[in-house]
Amino acid sequence: MRHILYSLLVIAVAGSSCHKQVLDIEAENLLRSDLAFTTPEKIEAATLAAYDGLQKDFLAGPALIYVDIMGNDVFDRGGAFGEMSRFNMLANYVLPATVWSAGFDAIGRANRAFAGITANSSKLTAAKASALLAECKFVRAVANFYLVNFFGQPYNFTADASHPGIPLITEDYTYNDPTANKPRSTVGEVYAAIIKDLTEALTDLPLTYTGYTNNVYHTKTRGTKAAAAAFLSRVYLYKGDYANAKKYAKDVIDKTYGTFALNATVGGAFNKGNYTTAETIWSIPNNATDNPNTNAALPMRYSPSDVRGDVVLSPTFLSLATNPKFAADDKRRGMIINGNTAASAPFKFTTKYTDVATRADWAPIIRYAEVLLTYAEAQARTGTGVDADALARLNEVRDRAKVSMPSYTAADFSNDKDKLIEAILEERRIELAFEGHRFWDMMRVKATVTGKYDYNGTSLLTPQPFGANKNIFPIPQIEVDKSKNVLVQNPGYE
Amino acid sequence: MRKFLMSLWCSLLLLSGEVMAQTRTLTGKITDSKGNPVSNVSVIVKGTRVGTVTDTDGGYSLNVPVSAKTLVISSVNMETVELKIGQAGDYNLTLKPVETNMEEVVVVGYNTIAKRSLTGSVSKVKGEELANKPVYSFDQALTGKAAGVLVNTSSGLVGDDVIIRIRGAASISSGSTPLIVMDGVPLNQGYSNIINDKINPLAELNPNDIENIEVLKDASATAIYGSRGSAGVLLITTKKGKAGHNALTYDAYAGFNEEANRMKVLNAEDYNKTINTLKWNAGQLRTDTSAKYNDLDNDGKIDIVNTDWQNELFHKGLVQNHNLAVSGGNQSTTYFASFNYNDNQSYIETIYQKRGSARLNLTTKLNDWLQVGVNTQYSRTLSNNLGSGTGTFFAGIPFGLLTAFPNIPVYGPDGKYYTGVGGNSGIVGYSIPNIEATTHLNYQKRDARRFIGSAFGEVQFIKGLKFKSQVNVDYSTGTIDNFWNRDIGDGVTTKGLRQTAENERNIWSWFNTLNYVKQIGADHELNLLAGSEYTRRTSSYMYTYGQGLNDPDLILINASNYAITGSDNGIDGIDDGLASYFGTVNYGFRKKYLATFNFRTDADSRFGNKNRWGYFPSGSIAWQIAQEDFMRPYTFVNELKLRSSYGVTGNSDIGYFPATSTFAPGSYADIPVLTVNNFGNKDLRWERHLQFDIGIDAVLWNRVNFSLDYYNRKTIDLILNNQVLATVGAPNNIITENVGKLRSRGVELTVGAQVVRKKNFTWTVNFNGAWNNTKVLATNFLGDDLYDSKDVNSQYSIARPGQPLGLFYLIRWAGVNPANGLATFLDVNGNQKQVERVGNGYVWTNVSDGSVTTAIAATDRVAQDKSPYPKYYGGFMQTFNYSSFDASIDLQYAFGFYIYNQTKAMLMDNGRSRNKSEDILDAWTKAGDNTDVPRLFWGESYWSTTGSTRWLEKGDFVRIRNVQIGYSLPKIAVGRIKASRLRLYVQASNLYTFTGYSGIDPEANSIGNTNIGLGLDKQRPYLTRTFTAGINFGL
Repeated sequence: MRHILYSLLVIAVAGSSCHKQVLDIEAENLLRSDLAFTTPEKIEAATLAAYDGLQKDFLAGPALIYVDIMGNDVFDRGGAFGEMSRFNMLANYVLPATVWSAGFDAIGRANRAFAGITANSSKLTAAKASALLAECKFVRAVANFYLVNFFGQPYNFTADASHPGIPLITEDYTYNDPTANKPRSTVGEVYAAIIKDLTEALTDLPLTYTGYTNNVYHTKTRGTKAAAAAFLSRVYLYKGDYANAKKYAKDVIDKTYGTFALNATVGGAFNKGNYTTAETIWSIPNNATDNPNTNAALPMRYSPSDVRGDVVLSPTFLSLATNPKFAADDKRRGMIINGNTAASAPFKFTTKYTDVATRADWAPIIRYAEVLLTYAEAQARTGTGVDADALARLNEVRDRAKVSMPSYTAADFSNDKDKLIEAILEERRIELAFEGHRFWDMMRVKATVTGKYDYNGTSLLTPQPFGANKNIFPIPQIEVDKSKNVLVQNPGYE
Repeated sequence: MRKFLMSLWCSLLLLSGEVMAQTRTLTGKITDSKGNPVSNVSVIVKGTRVGTVTDTDGGYSLNVPVSAKTLVISSVNMETVELKIGQAGDYNLTLKPVETNMEEVVVVGYNTIAKRSLTGSVSKVKGEELANKPVYSFDQALTGKAAGVLVNTSSGLVGDDVIIRIRGAASISSGSTPLIVMDGVPLNQGYSNIINDKINPLAELNPNDIENIEVLKDASATAIYGSRGSAGVLLITTKKGKAGHNALTYDAYAGFNEEANRMKVLNAEDYNKTINTLKWNAGQLRTDTSAKYNDLDNDGKIDIVNTDWQNELFHKGLVQNHNLAVSGGNQSTTYFASFNYNDNQSYIETIYQKRGSARLNLTTKLNDWLQVGVNTQYSRTLSNNLGSGTGTFFAGIPFGLLTAFPNIPVYGPDGKYYTGVGGNSGIVGYSIPNIEATTHLNYQKRDARRFIGSAFGEVQFIKGLKFKSQVNVDYSTGTIDNFWNRDIGDGVTTKGLRQTAENERNIWSWFNTLNYVKQIGADHELNLLAGSEYTRRTSSYMYTYGQGLNDPDLILINASNYAITGSDNGIDGIDDGLASYFGTVNYGFRKKYLATFNFRTDADSRFGNKNRWGYFPSGSIAWQIAQEDFMRPYTFVNELKLRSSYGVTGNSDIGYFPATSTFAPGSYADIPVLTVNNFGNKDLRWERHLQFDIGIDAVLWNRVNFSLDYYNRKTIDLILNNQVLATVGAPNNIITENVGKLRSRGVELTVGAQVVRKKNFTWTVNFNGAWNNTKVLATNFLGDDLYDSKDVNSQYSIARPGQPLGLFYLIRWAGVNPANGLATFLDVNGNQKQVERVGNGYVWTNVSDGSVTTAIAATDRVAQDKSPYPKYYGGFMQTFNYSSFDASIDLQYAFGFYIYNQTKAMLMDNGRSRNKSEDILDAWTKAGDNTDVPRLFWGESYWSTTGSTRWLEKGDFVRIRNVQIGYSLPKIAVGRIKASRLRLYVQASNLYTFTGYSGIDPEANSIGNTNIGLGLDKQRPYLTRTFTAGINFGL
């Protein structure tokens, strides 16, 4: 009997150590969330995750491509994006659902970081805490801006912007909280929230980032005062608040937030080695291992190849008849190449994104050229007659590309303000082509999309008027279902 | 063990023998049917504790009260006899051995009991039913062998999922795969970080090593495995040596594999005609200059090429198997050793699986109180799989084969793979690479090694009290080497791609049990067990890749030979521990009334501290009715047992730290970030499965076995990957929560009968059948429909409260309008609408009056009362023995389920130039045509393939799973070469399937091991049909 007891005792002792060993296991390559905001370094890394959210399935590629593909400067060779370019999508299509999820993922990350910083602000200096909070607001505003334009009609669709936008999410949810099921706010409310976030961010964001191994990299890819001001000018431009659009663009031009300038050459802000020049205000970076992959990376779509290479320049963009300000010897035509494979040979492509091999092309979100043109447009619209200042900014952009074409003079517009505005819009079309502006630039001025080509690049689609139902994406059907119809589907998709 | 039990019993009897005043002495001799004396037979006066046991000569002598009327004479493995005592003093008796399988011994978790004493629901599959079958893994051979056990082979691909469901799905989001334990070792059941193709780790075991597999089904049987028992348990016992029975066996077979089915696609002529018709009807033929579908080489002459890609890529794949086993032993030591080589080449060129394995099982009694032993196996498995993957990869199989242009050649005039127009380089919008080329140039090789071993010691402290300690390990590694050439196929994008992955999984466990067996008098049998077990599972993977290959002859991954290289490593899905404490009480009263109580408590490292412990009790009772006096007139009833159980089990197949909210490193291009990896849920607790079972086991006329079970299993606190609104901000919009309830109800029937039992001819029939209904009772608190999280794009199936699990949720197809050939659908209200391509858009009109209407949309989906889970399924096996010949035929069947035929949908596309199903030739051509195929009209692509009930088909099938004819050489002939057995046979596996299903196979399943989205047939290879001839040789 004693042997039995001894044996059992040995087993019990060995057992209790095993018991501990098999239960005290931490997830080895993960960090428990209660440890995520414990040091200043971790808090900052968790904040930066919000930009990663903007990058992933969103601004690093897809969002820009979709805005272009709905416009008339390119066509969707072979129908790679399904019915999107034909304004004929259905409520259960995957691409809009991916955009919706990606946008709210970025907003969720920003809100999570916001809550983490707020709860752990004692671990940071007051200045650092407010700067990080400003970055959260910046990311949230940018995500809201893209979402509201994809899923809601333009600001001027109704007089008071009372048409539905997107749900406004500002809380950090840690469980399946029913309060996250918010109805869509109006477009006006969403713009107000974007402007509030950006305005507050502008106050607390740094001019530049310092203290990193690569300060310029951080400065060009994270929120800065210049990025916030430049983005604000775009938001006000879309809103039709030209006074404010002008004000914030002017601040950037006046070097209030640092020195920005056009590069000497037209393509100087693109391609490897050129991503952080003075022309770039804010970009979404990619690298060989972190990029939107073969299906959504900008070079995969915009560069010629047999595999993708399906965002092809439209004859409408190339022809002087339909793009009259795009002179035959405009240097920006030098950024257009022919396809280089059997299947792509008949088509024209842009050279803005060429890194097919590693897909590391950055996504240009705001370049200095945009700020100049935004200023020019806002100034022209608020000014009387042919505004000299607007003209000067327009020429600043145009002159860089000119060979034989003369600079604009006031006489070119015979004192007609509208003609000047038209020239600025045409310049914006050429300068910012293939950077995710075209369709929305047309919509905010209530233009009809004409000269738009179908998958084959030869047959024309019927003109798509401003205000048409399918100018905007469907709210993903699965989200409508999950919301129990708290989210109201866009007309035409029910 | 038996001997020990007997001696224990005897000593108890002797001790309790009463000294009676009025006695007389009875004597006699007990013999077996051959006349040999039987020792240790218990001889008891009925209704008393007066008794003795026979000595080594089979004799007994017993003082009995004068009042004694009946002697009960019983022995292990012998039929119990009640003998009337008359005036005589000498009673000799011949005991008959028990002939039925009711006296088998059953392994119940950590203990062994006589099947007679079993109170739970357990099915047993003998090893011989699994051995020598040309399967990739033994689980495939389990198909149709046990009632209520659904085994579904997803495709003919090496390593593809074999889905085992015992009594329907046990869960919705968590695993429903049974726990598999081999000789006490819990086995690794899969890897997480794999490259293209799936891996079935059970392929690394040698089926010929298996003595038997017990399938534990009800809560009484599974509760001893607590948190891992909910989906049932497969207990594998490997072969052991028998004392005094030295043997050598050599089993071999050879044969070939071929595809079990073919989908018919258009030949070149029909293809050209179809494409031209499509374009002509849409007015596009003249304008689309690239559509030269019958003159691809552009030489002005009509091409005469006609390639059947399936012919090109399929061949007769060689299969062969060699298995050598030696076993034997003496009173103290027994051994079993085996060596196996298995080579199984697919019907798809280049695809194979080869396995070499060795096993040694050894047990030795060191002295009268200590026994030690080991059970070990080592195997190496090599395979080559589809380098280009399956599904809708352009070069995938069968997608590439079925959709490749039939009007292009395999080889160009230069003798090299054709990669011209229509091949690698496309006609606008679509191109399929040369599949013959990609299959030969790309590869996915795997080299897997696996050691499974256990060592145990068993100490007999005192009589009846035994202590056992066993350590177990299952260590497996696998290296995957995937290569995509840079010239043809999917590798073109990346200019060549090589990926390697190394996976390692290690499971160790240690269990200790204390077992006490006691017979109290003649009436009470008691078997107690208490134990502890500690299990630790770890894993790791290492992944490297290089893309953009410089020199195709140097494929080693290093930075100088590739444009980009990268690597990644981490945990391969599991890193957890389980601490368990358990106990069992088996009690039998007069061998008629049996009861079992189990209790297990598990603590799992993956749950938060708050809900770490799970408690899993179960109880069961059984009544051996045939033993009752009132049954005595019914002599044909040999056994009749009624049993019932109720208990709780848990589901530990819950993923990696699902409860813990965690962050993981991520990147914003060059900037490192910390991002949420798992949203977490600290309140997460165990899924619990409450199962009730009632059953009858019977043996009649000594030749009919019969078993009937009814069960009702309710799963509560289901851990669901709850789809949440994007606005919540959870990664992938998913949070795991304890929401949802599921109920499985069913009936299982097993009937086995020796229909004919003559000297020269026997005919045995074994039938099993199951009816199962698995219904979702609740999902999340909003009662939402749930979609399968493993394939977010295929939203054809849902889990909806009140409906069967995996219900198809589709737009309703309403056929083709005979008047105009347009596809028609029903909207949610049942209005029939037709769709027509006009310009670049679709125009919808009502069929009734032609008025323009709104488009059919996702909101028009209707839940079909159709699920992918068979309502009725099972197997039907017959064996015949005539003289020296034997034959067997095994059928498998499943009824009452549906499959979504997405493979076919993709082959009926009206808007792409890919090749199409022959069914498209039935397309509507003129008014009045009654057909199910809409008019050919280029551009009506979306609505010609979109998800609808058009592609939902009945899956009912009966399959001839296995047919075998054998001839055994007569004993005399075999004896001449000093052998004991020589049998030759021919075998056909998966010979024919009777089904109305028109897709790849009624078992086709593209998502894999999942719960909601089963039954999606989407471009996975055909199953395999195999013909083999073999030999069984024994010394």
